[in-house]
Amino acid sequence: MKKILSFLAALVLYFLFFYFVVAQSNINNLDFEPYWRFRKVILTGWLNTIMISTISILLSLVVGLILYAMKESRLKIFNYMAEIHQTIIFGTPLLVIAIVSFYYIGNAFGIDSPVATGCITLALYIGAYIADIYKGAIEGIHTNQWQGAKMFGFTTYQTYRYIIFPQIIKSILPPLAGQFALTIKGSALLAYMATNELLNAVSNIQASSFRITEGFIIIILGYWIITIPLISLVRRLENKTNYRT
Amino acid sequence: MNIEINQVIKKYDNKTILDKLSINIPDKQIIAFLGPSGSGKSTLLRLIAGLEDFESGEICLNEKSIHAKETDMEAYRKAIGFVFQDHNLFNHLTVFENIALVLEKVHKRKREIFTGEIHALLKTFELYDHKDKYPHQLSGGQSQRVSIVRALSIQPQLILLDEPTSSLDPVLTYDVLNAVKQLAVESKDFIIVTHEIGFAKNIADYVVFMDEGQIIEHGPRTILDHPQTETFKNFLSKVLPFN
Repeated sequence: MKKILSFLAALVLYFLFFYFVVAQSNINNLDFEPYWRFRKVILTGWLNTIMISTISILLSLVVGLILYAMKESRLKIFNYMAEIHQTIIFGTPLLVIAIVSFYYIGNAFGIDSPVATGCITLALYIGAYIADIYKGAIEGIHTNQWQGAKMFGFTTYQTYRYIIFPQIIKSILPPLAGQFALTIKGSALLAYMATNELLNAVSNIQASSFRITEGFIIIILGYWIITIPLISLVRRLENKTNYRT
Repeated sequence: MNIEINQVIKKYDNKTILDKLSINIPDKQIIAFLGPSGSGKSTLLRLIAGLEDFESGEICLNEKSIHAKETDMEAYRKAIGFVFQDHNLFNHLTVFENIALVLEKVHKRKREIFTGEIHALLKTFELYDHKDKYPHQLSGGQSQRVSIVRALSIQPQLILLDEPTSSLDPVLTYDVLNAVKQLAVESKDFIIVTHEIGFAKNIADYVVFMDEGQIIEHGPRTILDHPQTETFKNFLSKVLPFN
């Protein structure tokens, strides 16, 4: 009971803050009518955001794994390739990467679907961070687990599949959740590629109806509906896989 | 078993751990390696197990050289039971699954066939009631016994034990050593690295005393009563009063 009250009190404080901001901006008569009229467009955009994010997340898990394997490879060329990839990604804003990959790289390889370019770009971007999440978690596994696996004759694949990955899932979930949320938010940048996702859909209505504030409210709520359940789901999973080492 | 070690050199980061180590032990069943911490005895055991490579020299177990290609070493290691100092149980698996995973994935055996065998082994070691517990829910002695059961489940002829009682209290130490003693009756071969002089005295066929990467003395267990070198005398005089 006390927990719920504290939560509600915190919520009220935030509400008051936003109420103050809105009141100061002289906004009256919020009118959602134009958005209601184009609700199907918004819904399509919102579903596209979910689709793009989901594909990008799944791809980025694989990209991260490949980059991790390259970093750990005995072949030095792979080590450097992974390092160059990460340095470029870490050192460049996602917005710039999105524009470059759509107008230049996508064009050079003849990929003209903004969705495909967007998903690949996001996967390559998020994957660079995920590689380090894998690396950190795997290095956190005690040497005795590796030695046990080696002694009992597990192959490298079996060692990762049955001994290492089941143990790192718990420790990689929180940072992965952060990356997933980043992917969903990052998908907004695909609006610059004229992808029909949530931000782009709402922006178009904003431009034609001049109802700017309402558009932003819809955008924020649209993202929260996806990200907040995701964050709480991961928190619950963390508790579930809670075994001690 | 026969062990022949010839001029073995092992280094970690340029620090020599085993320095031109040579010994020939023919036809023994239970060999105990003794020595102070840092003497290189655990390292030697890991080399015999094929867990680590070494700089030069040769180790032969039953006339088979184990300084071989990694692909051959996999098959070699699979056939050996190894009990680690800190038991090395897989943290995310229950007692039963710790054993089952090895049999199912590495030895490609069928679950319905080996389940009964594992249960029987767990009963022998008074672990059956703990079969669904995770390693962190076990006491040190229980973990170490699980580790022994896991090593036995693959039905190895040779079992290597690396200071299996170093983290245990005297009662649990007794339990673990008693388990090893029972197995010795089944004529399995053992190489054990231990601090338990009493144990070595009791069941070892052959005792090897090491210090600073060298073998100082070796021979039948009677050498424990008549140490020849000062180092061994010193070691025994420090350890024995508490054994």
